[in-house]
Amino acid sequence: MARMPVEGLIRAFHIANKDAKAYYFKAPNFTYALLMPVSLFMAFSIAGPADPKLIAPGLTSLVILFGTTSIEAVAVVLERQTGTFERLLVAPISLPTIILGKALAGLFFGSAIGIAVFAPLALASGVAVASPPMALLAIAFSSLSFSALGVLASTHAKWVPEAQMLANLLRFPMAFLSGAFIPLELMPSQLRAVARILPLTYSVEALRMSMEGPGETSAYLLDMLVLALYSLAFLAIATSALRRKIE
Amino acid sequence: MESIEMDNAIEAINLTKYYGRILAVDNISFGVKRGEIFGFLGPNGAGKTTTVRLLTGQAKPNSGRAIVAGFDMAREPIKAKGLIGVVPEVSNLYDELSVWDNLIFAAKLYGVPRDAREGKAMELLEVIGLSGRRGDRFGGLSKGMRRRLTIAVALIHEPEILFLDEPTAGLDVQSSRAIRNLVSELNRDGMTVFLTTHYIEEAEQLCDRVAIIDRGRMVAEGKPEELEARVEDRTAVDLCFGPNGGPEDGLRALEHVKGISRLGDAFRVYVDDLKGFLRALGDFAQENGLEITSINTVRPSLEDAFVRITGLSPEVMRVEKEPAKRRGDVG
Repeated sequence: MARMPVEGLIRAFHIANKDAKAYYFKAPNFTYALLMPVSLFMAFSIAGPADPKLIAPGLTSLVILFGTTSIEAVAVVLERQTGTFERLLVAPISLPTIILGKALAGLFFGSAIGIAVFAPLALASGVAVASPPMALLAIAFSSLSFSALGVLASTHAKWVPEAQMLANLLRFPMAFLSGAFIPLELMPSQLRAVARILPLTYSVEALRMSMEGPGETSAYLLDMLVLALYSLAFLAIATSALRRKIE
Repeated sequence: MESIEMDNAIEAINLTKYYGRILAVDNISFGVKRGEIFGFLGPNGAGKTTTVRLLTGQAKPNSGRAIVAGFDMAREPIKAKGLIGVVPEVSNLYDELSVWDNLIFAAKLYGVPRDAREGKAMELLEVIGLSGRRGDRFGGLSKGMRRRLTIAVALIHEPEILFLDEPTAGLDVQSSRAIRNLVSELNRDGMTVFLTTHYIEEAEQLCDRVAIIDRGRMVAEGKPEELEARVEDRTAVDLCFGPNGGPEDGLRALEHVKGISRLGDAFRVYVDDLKGFLRALGDFAQENGLEITSINTVRPSLEDAFVRITGLSPEVMRVEKEPAKRRGDVG
């Protein structure tokens, strides 16, 4: 991945563009991405109104997680099932380029739905976003990280329902353990330790810090670094798993 | 140590491929000269598709090498892939995209310069007769149109070598003829073509040279007429009987009969002594009250050579593959 030439990157963008056109930017995908996280939040809100500073980052991260993993979980397995993946395999591009192209489509999709949810939530809650660029970057890094996770699930599945099941196994525990609903400070220490290995935790935290401003920059940068490392690790494992399968 | 003919467009050197414990391709070696149509002929499941997958970089051999367009597929796959076009057995473009978008996406993927993409796509649509359907979704096209577009997409970057895996399988006569004509034209313009088929007449009609593959092994290779010459010691006789037909088992048991296959209502009987067979046939027809309505001796064809070389019935070659064909299948 480290030495991907510019030409490879351009072709990865073409794959992402094709995926967006063929599969992703369609109404049902947006509906699912919003429906599940909003339902979960409403269920948690029954006990009482949640803190606006918690809602905006938590719900936004969850929407990105559910949206990107849903579409990316089928990204590779669907193409393998229909035979179109062979088109990519016979083209003059490397396997890491193909995998990156798949994840980039999720980056675009996740960023679009993330911004669409975060901006109105932040405005409605009346809490100022101290650094909008930091929020945008956090949304982009979260989208790439969760897309890569979805691609990883997709490379391990034989067919689409199996990929969705794998994605659910990853999504739901993360949703409850990562501070999206309950602040980490209120969690028992063992659960806090578990939360620290989940990428969603860093996504929620980075968005929260973007609302709080430059005072939290070093912690914010650490969150972004962790999300970037997760992205690289997921993509590398996905590439290696797929290489074993197809060869 | 195998010698490598570097002038060849394709050089397969001791290629072997296992899927699990199944030996799909067994130590295959051959060369394809630049500018020729090379046919890979064999029944379904013989290892043709697996060989194409090895030659086009979709799978790695357990042993052996594939040199394609001058590049070792294991060491420089991206360079090799940039010089080949691949038409897989299943027309596998994107159902959700239009005819035009499929062509343009392929052009981008193969690095066709931006200012040449649309012109090339238009030219190919003219060639395959789909210029009026450019806005239609691929999923909405007929089977023959899908096949033609899949070939056009493989040509978008003007490859040196075209791989065609069963290009006419399951198509109607008209579509098959159109595709065969297109392949001939491309070859006349200098393109090397590697063609797999289980249609013997297709190989005979199109190919400069043919390799016969059976159960993963290459059992013969040569020009169609060279393969046919191998069976000139064995004559074929086409027989038609009257309305009651003829008993196949009885014919098979006659003296001098070496093989038999059905051609619709007729029989093709392979004999090692024509005069002896005709005497035995006359006696057989008289004893059983059979009326022989026509009898013709035929020059040995590629099909005859195939039958002799593989020991398989031509009927085996007429069996179409299951429609669902997925990556990793042995074929």
